[in-house]
Amino acid sequence: MLQHKDGSVQNHQHGWEPYVDNGGTSLAIAGEDFCVIASDTRQSEGYSINTRFDPKIHKITDKIMLATTGYSADAKRLTEVIKMQTERYFYKHEKNMESHAAAQMLSVILYQKRFFPYYVFPILAGIDNEGKGCVYSYDPVGNMERVTFQVYGSASGMIQPFLDSQVGFKNQQNVDKTRLLTKEEAISIAVDSFTAATERDIYTGDYLEIYIVDANGIHREQKPLKFD
Amino acid sequence: MFLTRSEYDRGVNTFSPEGRLFQVEYAIEAIKLGSIAIGIRTNEGVVLGVEKRITSSLLVGSSIEKILEIDTHIGCAMSGLTADSRTIIEHARVEAQNHTFTYEETIPVESLSQSICDLALRFGEGAHGEKSIMSRPFGVSLLVAGVDEKGPQLYYTDPSGSLVMYEAKAIGAGSEGAQVELQQSYYKNITLKEAEVLVLKVLKQVMEEKLKNTNVQLAKVVPKTGYSIYSLGELEEIIARLDEQE
Amino acid sequence: MSLDKVLKYTSASKTNPYAFDDDENFLKRDVTDNISHFDFKFAPVLKPAEFAKSHIDVKSQKDSLIKLAHGTTTLAFKFKNGVIVATDSRATSGNVIASQTVKKVIEINPYLLGTMAGGAADCSYWERELGRRCRLHELANKERISVAAASKLLTNMVYSYKGMGLSMGTMISGWDKKGPGLYYVDSEGQRIKGNLFSVGSGSTFAYGVLDTSYRYDMETDEAIELGRRAIYHATHRDAMSGGYVRLYHIKKEGWEFIGLEDVEDLYYKYNNQE
Repeated sequence: MLQHKDGSVQNHQHGWEPYVDNGGTSLAIAGEDFCVIASDTRQSEGYSINTRFDPKIHKITDKIMLATTGYSADAKRLTEVIKMQTERYFYKHEKNMESHAAAQMLSVILYQKRFFPYYVFPILAGIDNEGKGCVYSYDPVGNMERVTFQVYGSASGMIQPFLDSQVGFKNQQNVDKTRLLTKEEAISIAVDSFTAATERDIYTGDYLEIYIVDANGIHREQKPLKFD
Repeated sequence: MFLTRSEYDRGVNTFSPEGRLFQVEYAIEAIKLGSIAIGIRTNEGVVLGVEKRITSSLLVGSSIEKILEIDTHIGCAMSGLTADSRTIIEHARVEAQNHTFTYEETIPVESLSQSICDLALRFGEGAHGEKSIMSRPFGVSLLVAGVDEKGPQLYYTDPSGSLVMYEAKAIGAGSEGAQVELQQSYYKNITLKEAEVLVLKVLKQVMEEKLKNTNVQLAKVVPKTGYSIYSLGELEEIIARLDEQE
Repeated sequence: MSLDKVLKYTSASKTNPYAFDDDENFLKRDVTDNISHFDFKFAPVLKPAEFAKSHIDVKSQKDSLIKLAHGTTTLAFKFKNGVIVATDSRATSGNVIASQTVKKVIEINPYLLGTMAGGAADCSYWERELGRRCRLHELANKERISVAAASKLLTNMVYSYKGMGLSMGTMISGWDKKGPGLYYVDSEGQRIKGNLFSVGSGSTFAYGVLDTSYRYDMETDEAIELGRRAIYHATHRDAMSGGYVRLYHIKKEGWEFIGLEDVEDLYYKYNNQE
């Protein structure tokens, strides 16, 4: 609180805005025995691009990746916390954290900041304890759902309907709606999603990072997107 | 022997010049006053057994509880000052449920047992911001039986906070003799059914009273159904098998 | 308990606004007190509760940055053979459909169900916490907790956060010694016992259907069909509801999952009948 000479009181905390949307898009698609996680690497604030390479996907364990969008600072902090907790879990229980445990833990960690949330939309993806591909999506305070595909971020409005159609087979007739994509199909849909979104979303672009998690481990690919 | 211990056995936080914590050692002695408790690990599960000392014909035997459930997959038997176990059991149950809350999975048996030991040395004045919960060491030992992805396991905890894994273990009054008997009779591929009989056999040798289904309590922890207490009928059946064997 | 903590943290924020991110204790509970739960972090401002309310939107009322998943039709009613619980499956965040496959029935344990309306995370977190406490109750008392006691536990938990922006409207239902039980509990601290409730943006439409045909002495099939129809009609008129109809029946032996039905299929089913 600041007392001015004329006697008026200004509460500096009134207009405090702790959050920034740094743009960018992340998606994940689960397959039968693999998972594809993709993100662009542009990080911007307003109409300025801060950096062209700021990866939003992080490795949590050998089987689990965390993709984020929203406020970059919060996302990085959240990632550190998740990594630290999985490591503590490893030493305490002498085993690697499985995806269901990491998924629930992430929900709890997000909810602990229910009254001062991380401005992050996380997607946790990887291989579950049965070797199946898994994707968990969250809202900023930890509402969790296991899904087969999810996209968050500035281009989610463009990509989610595309995935609904091409991955979820929504509103199509004479198709097997429970069919899961092959690895090649999933990668190709992820790439197409980002090249298309880069055309129309100012916050998505620069580079595309794709991670494929399967029984053989984590495989990374990088592709250039448009720089404009 | 007690002469040498004078002066250094008063405080719970004072070492003797020989490097001993007498109050903790005395606490371990307290276990030996308690009625016997036995645990046997098999590949099919873990069996726990305790003697219930019915000191009066007016005492309601079912009110003595020396085997308790911690979670669906973990149970524990105790010996010593059993009232002290209430704090420990409460702590263990909360630890187990907290793990499930955070990780959506049951707690590993070893981690749970370790969390019990973490509590053991929180007597005296609290340190590191941790609240002290007791003014003296616990006077109770636990046999923790559980099943997790590593299979059936049996752990032994004592008032000093040490944690040891056993194939078969006896604690409490007469445990030395019982442990010798267990050592002789235990073998690697013992079945759960054989372990049930062995527990009763050892209890019978140690107990002063005649072994009946009302003065012993048996429990098991097995992979599918988890923890369960044997009913009076089931005990009757195992006693019959024991009599047959002898 | 919790209120003390809230107050403690509120006052701490005045002296040291950055003291909250204590990573060491991130996942630590005070295990010596089983009523306590995790310490929540608050914004380093004079009025953390005001911050929470102004920055987090759970009701599509504000233009906040953080939009949480919400919007719903849920219902539950008692009848002679138990309790029927039915929900839709849509979650909206702002005007976007965040998900069409939300599980709005929370299986607290094999004989207790909770429903989800309001902030999705608020409901699922606190009903999970309720599950934890119900289990501890069961271990300590060697018998299942009653529906009345379970719903009271939940009310007490959320009441200590009243005024801080939690949003939860739930029906706790189950079967105990007294038979079927049903309570409505919300984040304002309300707890009402009743035979029939519907909660959420589509509840008015569901009530319309329910009140027309509800009788306590319905047969099970009839009751399930009533629950299904009420949710279906709510998804038809309420933009914030949709997706799938999820149905449960609570019996003496615990709850039974009846099914998950696409409202699109129901649309054709009901239209062909007429």
